[in-house]
Amino acid sequence: MKDLRGPYECCNIQPPTMTRRDMLKTVAAGFGYLAFAGLSSEAAAHQSSLTPKSPHFPPRAKRMIFLCMQGGPSQMDTFDHKPKLSADSGKAGLSKGGGSALIGSPFHFDQHGQSGLSISELFPNVARHADDLCVIRSMQTDIPNHPQAFVQLHTGSSQFTRPSVGAWTLYGLGTENQNLPGFITISPPMALGGAQNYGSAFLPAVYQGTRIGEQKANLAGASVSNIQNPRLTAEMQRHQLDLVRSMNRDLVNENSANPEVEGIIESYELAFRMQSEVPNVMDFSRESAATLTMYGIGESATADFGRQCLMARRFAEAGVRYIEVCHAGWDQHNNLKKAIGANCRATDRPIAALLSDLKQRGLLHDTLVIWGGEFGRTPDSRKEDGRDHNAKGYTMWMAGGGVKAGLAYGQTDDYGYQAVEDKVHIHDLHATLLSLLGLDHERLTYRYAGRDFRLSDVHGNVIRNILA
Amino acid sequence: MKPSGNSIATALGRQLKYFAGGLAALCAISLLGPTALIALGSEIDFAKARESWAFKPPKTVPAPVVTDPKWPRSEIDRFVLAALEAKSLKPVGDADRHALLRRVYFDLNGMPPKPDEVLAFVNDRSPEAFEEVVDRLLVSPQFGERWARHWFDVARYAESTGKERNFTYPNAWRYRDYVIDAFNEDKPYDEFIREQIAGDLLPARNGAQRNEHLIATGFLAIGPKGLNERKREQFVMDIVDEQIDVTSRAVLGLTVSCARCHDHKFDPIPTRDYYAIAGIFRSSETFYGTQGQQNRQPSTLLTLLTGSAAATDENFAAAVLSPARALNKLSPRPNQQRPGAAKKQQRRQAAPALVAASSGPASDAVTEHAMGVLDGRASDCPIFIRGEIDHRGEIVPRGFLTVLTTSQPPKIDPSQSGRLELANWLMSRDNPLPARVMANRVWQHLFGQGLVRTPDNFGAMGEKPSHPELLDYLASRFMDDHWSVKALIRSIVLSRVYQLSSADDKKNYAADPDNVLLWRTRPRRLDAESIRDAVLAASGQLDLTPPHGSVVAQVGDGYIGKGIKPRAFNADTNKRSVYLPIVRDLVPDILGLFDFAEPSLVVASRDVTTVPSQALFMMNSPFVSIQSEQMAKHLLELKDLDSAHRISLAYLRILSRPPNESEQTRAEDYLQQRAKGWPVTEGPTMVGTEAAWATLCQALFACAEFRYLR
Repeated sequence: MKDLRGPYECCNIQPPTMTRRDMLKTVAAGFGYLAFAGLSSEAAAHQSSLTPKSPHFPPRAKRMIFLCMQGGPSQMDTFDHKPKLSADSGKAGLSKGGGSALIGSPFHFDQHGQSGLSISELFPNVARHADDLCVIRSMQTDIPNHPQAFVQLHTGSSQFTRPSVGAWTLYGLGTENQNLPGFITISPPMALGGAQNYGSAFLPAVYQGTRIGEQKANLAGASVSNIQNPRLTAEMQRHQLDLVRSMNRDLVNENSANPEVEGIIESYELAFRMQSEVPNVMDFSRESAATLTMYGIGESATADFGRQCLMARRFAEAGVRYIEVCHAGWDQHNNLKKAIGANCRATDRPIAALLSDLKQRGLLHDTLVIWGGEFGRTPDSRKEDGRDHNAKGYTMWMAGGGVKAGLAYGQTDDYGYQAVEDKVHIHDLHATLLSLLGLDHERLTYRYAGRDFRLSDVHGNVIRNILA
Repeated sequence: MKPSGNSIATALGRQLKYFAGGLAALCAISLLGPTALIALGSEIDFAKARESWAFKPPKTVPAPVVTDPKWPRSEIDRFVLAALEAKSLKPVGDADRHALLRRVYFDLNGMPPKPDEVLAFVNDRSPEAFEEVVDRLLVSPQFGERWARHWFDVARYAESTGKERNFTYPNAWRYRDYVIDAFNEDKPYDEFIREQIAGDLLPARNGAQRNEHLIATGFLAIGPKGLNERKREQFVMDIVDEQIDVTSRAVLGLTVSCARCHDHKFDPIPTRDYYAIAGIFRSSETFYGTQGQQNRQPSTLLTLLTGSAAATDENFAAAVLSPARALNKLSPRPNQQRPGAAKKQQRRQAAPALVAASSGPASDAVTEHAMGVLDGRASDCPIFIRGEIDHRGEIVPRGFLTVLTTSQPPKIDPSQSGRLELANWLMSRDNPLPARVMANRVWQHLFGQGLVRTPDNFGAMGEKPSHPELLDYLASRFMDDHWSVKALIRSIVLSRVYQLSSADDKKNYAADPDNVLLWRTRPRRLDAESIRDAVLAASGQLDLTPPHGSVVAQVGDGYIGKGIKPRAFNADTNKRSVYLPIVRDLVPDILGLFDFAEPSLVVASRDVTTVPSQALFMMNSPFVSIQSEQMAKHLLELKDLDSAHRISLAYLRILSRPPNESEQTRAEDYLQQRAKGWPVTEGPTMVGTEAAWATLCQALFACAEFRYLR
């Protein structure tokens, strides 16, 4: 052996001349064991942090799909019918600063299903599921600015960095399919808090969301990071992993009480399975043409969101705990009529398809589907064809997962300025989501910096009246 | 504190209910009514509170006598051994030399030893061999890069605002470099803290030191900021809160910001004390930059002295001898209430903070800016009831924490912010906490766990020290050694307890499964930065030259996700991980995957998780694949080596030890039987043999041993 120095090794200590046998002799005394036993109990606990955990009480829903409508969809044009607003359209509005006029919805509402829920013509397909919906018309959040409200919707707080709802869920429940990430977010925005919206903050990183794609990028080519190795064939990689496994086994054999190495061994096996399972779940080739059509994949208006919804169904079916999909562009200060029409065209069919599909597969009863944005919109505006931000009263809806179906809960005033009956703050919504998943929001705590934190902070009441 | 009205009582009651033990408090409150509740807060018995171990001054106790006098190498060892002997336990044997060398290299420099360094140490049987290694590592420039990163975790260092609108901080890197230099120079820790809290108010010898002091105050400016906040007052109080939080947790190990809305539930920190300190920070102005559209709260930056102004002492002298006064005249007016008019906002953007002595010669270099803090309009702060800016209570004189103030506190000059006095009070020898907190952090980084296992909470909710006398010994010695971090580290790594093996022992395990008594070395996973740096070191691609500036500085000002594409930060660099761009909510993959500290939070100890996404990274990421190929290429270029020697070299580079016989055989089998003649795949440079070697190197990176210090 002449030179043991690598290119970065600038020191001039010459390595002693050694034969391989000498070298082995030198190290034989030193190497030969590795004791990892008795890793702290914490380390051992992290080991199993993603395996399914018992909820606090029997859950109504096992998993959740959040249809995030970023921008603040207008409630009075979709799910909160305001006849008086239409009647008084054009009269002076009540918004601060004056100069605004009430704008009646340009869209027609009908009652649907047995429940007679009133839904506008913008959602003809979702309207067919009226009897599955639990519409909350009295939502409230703290700040009528997109960035803060978007982060608060996802983490409960815009003031401090806090874990996301999905991270709390994973922390509380673990996940059913270890071959897939437990919390997946599809096409999220990179602004408006970015990764904070699916981050784990002070919770261990294992609970953070796995991102697939990003807003405005084509979802068709997106996947989970590092899910494949283009340099190696599957066979080559299997040989390589067998080698890694054998190296790791050595460590375990030296000392059987070795939970961390066992964990690493397991993580490679999971990863190997994950890299076939993730592309499998994301592969639509075995979906029937009828299904693809139902979701609107193949038509330009609905293709992207249809793809997101179908992916969400496939992930839900495969046992992913928390899935979020995102449709942006609901911020209609101007051009309301045309733009909201386009948004609804892009999402109506995919959402309806998702509900039907979950139902026919027997998944809707224990999958909670939630629709809504960071806030809603005002009934008046200074512009002729627009609406402004409204944090005091807006609509979200849920379906499946143990909520009362065909129900409208809460009310806004006659025009839709603010919630006046059965108000539901975002903290109440979070408390309710956790409750549907079998978690008590007051007991789901994590100790950080000397105190126990909760998703709902010191707030939140479960909305008992919407539980089936 | 005298807020009134039932709503407050209810709100406080709700908060109380939330905490452990809150039920009892709640009952008491409902019986006593709101007036009594308020009295509860002012009734903290500080004399009694000072009896808690953490609030007593560190005691200098002689190291105990031990039964086995041959075992200890230092006083530290006698404290540890005495505790073990008290339970009739014995420490395990010493670590083998390969394990020890790898351990101390990563602990001190965050990088593996080079193969020749391994062989030299293993063969050097002189009693001083280890000490020589330690001293070499302590003076290496890599030491500062390693230990600065530990500080960045608690200083929540990052190069963007994070939160709902993520704007870049293109000048944050100056603070990064300041901290690295401070650790390399072994700047006394008390000075290090004083500069970060009040550098702008400290006298400076010359322009360069003046700049250094200003940059140090970046500590208070680099926190997360909610730039979309409409209300100026709210924004200012959120910054103040963040500054109180980071200062108190980093320096004191106390969560003072809990007292923003109510008296601290567990620790003797009344809301009054919070607003006494808040007054100090509110009397200062924070300069953090951030320019661009959609920013409701932009700020300017500090202007550094450049060219000859920074270099010569003479030009500088007059202005800096009484820095505070000079600054008050020169700095821009502090931000008033909310900057209603857009005009005013523009003015704030346009006027750079003129902190440099205006008499300096015309700049002969490009203007340089830094983030930091200056005194603003000095005034006391009212208590904001429940932390709400619309509910003003009594005005509290600026001051410090009552519980930690036994002797006469420094008097705050009413015309100044009081930061200088705060810094002096914090780092006074009478303050029982800072030395303990830092000694504990150093211990934690060298043993994987602090003597106090809650390193940023020395309050009632924290844990008590496992070895209280040892902690006091380390803290006292730290202060006696002029707060030298290097001396503290040196004394610990030269102890015998640091050099123990990680072997198991049935009897010890049964008695102390969590190894609280330190009967062996706890195996520790490498942190994210070390993993990346070690891969690059092994592949021969690590570039140890520090960069000038940072990727974020190159990208410049802007709103990430809108004006700036996240991709812009995907730096193709082989420099050390400490220099990677740390953009909030966009942490580089490799760091995020291996439990990097969340840069929006003060993180005193990182998690260690094991998840498949880490395995996927090791198996499939372009980074590990490319480095493995580079390493294979290099091994194959060493024409004089046969494959057995190449395998040895690969082990030495990656695991800092040669393979044993069966490992050697297994690797050869793998190369010959499994991987021989593999086809060329899409990897453009891979041929059969090279692919085989590359996958072997990658397997070594992927194995558990690489990721752990034993």
